[in-house]
Amino acid sequence: MKVGYDLVKEQLFFRQELKERVFWFIHLRWIGAGTAIAITWAAYLGGQSLPILPLNIALVFILFYNTIFLYIGKRLEAFRPREVRPFTVFAHTQISLDLLCLYTLIYFTGGVYSPLLIFVIFHIILAGILLPPLSCYLYGALVIAALGGLVVLQDTGILPLKPVLFQIHLLHYRYGSSGISIPYLTFAAAILISAFLITSVKVSLRTKARSLLDVSHELDLINTKLTALYEMVKEMGSHSDLKGLMDSATRYATRIMGVKGCSIKLLNEDKRTLRFASVYGLSRDYTSKESIDIEKSPINLRIIQGSPYSISHIDEKDYFQYPEDILKEGIASMLCFPLRAEEDSTGILCVYSDKTYRFDEEDTKFFSLMTDLTAMAIENLQSSLARSWFTKKAVHQIRSPLNAIRSMLKTVIGGYVGGLNEKQKELLIRTDRRAELLGNLISDILRFDHDIKAIKRIKFLGLNPSMILKQVVQLYQSEAIEKGIEFKTEIEEIGNTMIGNQELLDEIFSNLVSNAVKYTPRDGLVRINLSMKGENHILFEISDTGIGISQEDIPRLFTEFFRADNAKAIEENGTGLGLIIVKEVVDRLGGSIDVESKIGEGTRFTCILPLSPPLRLYPKG
Amino acid sequence: MSTGRDILIIEDDRDVVNSLRIILESKDFTVRYAYNGKEGYAKIKEKTPDLIILDVMMSTDTEGFDLAYKLRDDPQYRNIPIILETGFTQKMAEDGPERFQHILGESWPVSYFMEKPVDPEKLLSTVQSIIKGVDTPC
Repeated sequence: MKVGYDLVKEQLFFRQELKERVFWFIHLRWIGAGTAIAITWAAYLGGQSLPILPLNIALVFILFYNTIFLYIGKRLEAFRPREVRPFTVFAHTQISLDLLCLYTLIYFTGGVYSPLLIFVIFHIILAGILLPPLSCYLYGALVIAALGGLVVLQDTGILPLKPVLFQIHLLHYRYGSSGISIPYLTFAAAILISAFLITSVKVSLRTKARSLLDVSHELDLINTKLTALYEMVKEMGSHSDLKGLMDSATRYATRIMGVKGCSIKLLNEDKRTLRFASVYGLSRDYTSKESIDIEKSPINLRIIQGSPYSISHIDEKDYFQYPEDILKEGIASMLCFPLRAEEDSTGILCVYSDKTYRFDEEDTKFFSLMTDLTAMAIENLQSSLARSWFTKKAVHQIRSPLNAIRSMLKTVIGGYVGGLNEKQKELLIRTDRRAELLGNLISDILRFDHDIKAIKRIKFLGLNPSMILKQVVQLYQSEAIEKGIEFKTEIEEIGNTMIGNQELLDEIFSNLVSNAVKYTPRDGLVRINLSMKGENHILFEISDTGIGISQEDIPRLFTEFFRADNAKAIEENGTGLGLIIVKEVVDRLGGSIDVESKIGEGTRFTCILPLSPPLRLYPKG
Repeated sequence: MSTGRDILIIEDDRDVVNSLRIILESKDFTVRYAYNGKEGYAKIKEKTPDLIILDVMMSTDTEGFDLAYKLRDDPQYRNIPIILETGFTQKMAEDGPERFQHILGESWPVSYFMEKPVDPEKLLSTVQSIIKGVDTPC
């Protein structure tokens, strides 16, 4: 059964065909009439006797109205392209006028014996292609009747007889005898057979075109669904909290399946009750139940045990723990699949419809795929959250004893448990500093983990990079003054034009500025430049007169945990993670960073960042 | 020779408690201690201390905060000064500030913070300035 959209689409398809054909015939007419004029003149000039004047008048008339047709056709296409009726009328006009001219030519070239009679068949074929079968037969009847009329008119002497083309000496006309009926009936039979053949072929072609359209429509639907499913998976992957992920899943599932609502129920720790973890499109009343006891809900039990369930009609009340609620909610059918993580079910994904018998086999298959993808996304996030939790826990566990060690060391160093000699004190102070370094390292590892995760789910806003850089510079100004380091800044006013994230940009600027200050000796110089590079990039340069980096160390600079020997000599408490984070952030923003350096002379970092990050980085919504 | 000033340390790490105790006792404070929030609350009820040094993360991530809020909401105890011992700035850097947003938005239950590991001199000067403030009638 076709409704609305499908029907319109089919009509559009055939209308397009009609339009194309109409223009095609206009082209054919130029060729046909043009060639005919050329032939008549060639024959005439070659000494053949033929009615050159009436033939040419008719042919020129064809060219004339063809010009008008071309104009009308273009106007119709421009102003009323969506209406089918004008094009039908247009097709009728063309065929009628063509036939009229053809009959004029036939009359002047011998009437029923004219060799041009055969051309009538072409027009029947054309009518068959362009118009409905009935019109084709009507044209057939019309041309047969017209030829009959011509014979009668000539027979009765109303129209004078014309000689047959190129057979000027023979007058074949003997009306009233059976002689005339042979060519006439042959002609009539040829016309009717043509009409029959062309309309039959066309009907079968149309049927095929229709089924082709159906297939393409189905493919469209599947394509739309798959695209939506892809969007759903992408959206689910962008969440860092379980609730957000599941809310996306239910919202998308409702939309993609085109249903009333969707829910995710998760199995509680007791493995005996289910709770609504996320719901879309259902009332609060329906989902406010504290938990569903699966022992009392045979359907939920079966689903959790691994078998999907489709309920086409909610009348088997015994299946549910709260059947009256389902009816009250207006749910008429539902489709539920277990969310499987490896062997076990962790919950149930359900879609609900207010129509009975809503879900067919295709829906079931598709929903099964959707459920598996959702289960995978949930599982994925859960394990990543567990990993983060573990890292945090582990870091706390490492830091606690470290803090205790340092508390005790400080107590000893402070002389609260008795005096120390200088040597002892110095060693203990060094011990404390090494312990502090260990603490920093732990912090950096955790920060690194956090930053990498943060980059993935960061929100992008309009930023003013000049302002952010100025703030960073200000932050390090006092440290620089203390060390007698001069800052020379040239910061171009770029305005609020960058799409990015303040934290990330800050991370780049802070790390590089702080490094420059840290590794530049007293009375040094740090130059900081920010400018536009072309229309779409900003260029950030920072150079110092610091200790520099040796050539062999440069390639290792952006790899994890590397610290150059000369850097260690200056600053003991570095962890070597700063530049890795810078590199990671620059990469994520779609930019590039380069470093030039000479030992003992200084270092220059050149960083180019796009004003808008690559599209793949934009978070959804 | 006690100053008569009673300081309660609530902290789950015995070695840290011990260090703090040694430092504070060197300046003649009376030091009591508890290894968790519950025990600490009992000690407060037993005798109201002049100052509490409180660890944030004990058996749960926010045990110290929970106790601080509980005390703030109790008129009897709301005026006891509390030094919150924390790796807070470190934690901010690690977790990102959003984790603490819900706390930052509200009014703080405590007014003094001390970075872990505690620096003895800083601890003493903070404690002394707070105790002095308590001394001053207001």
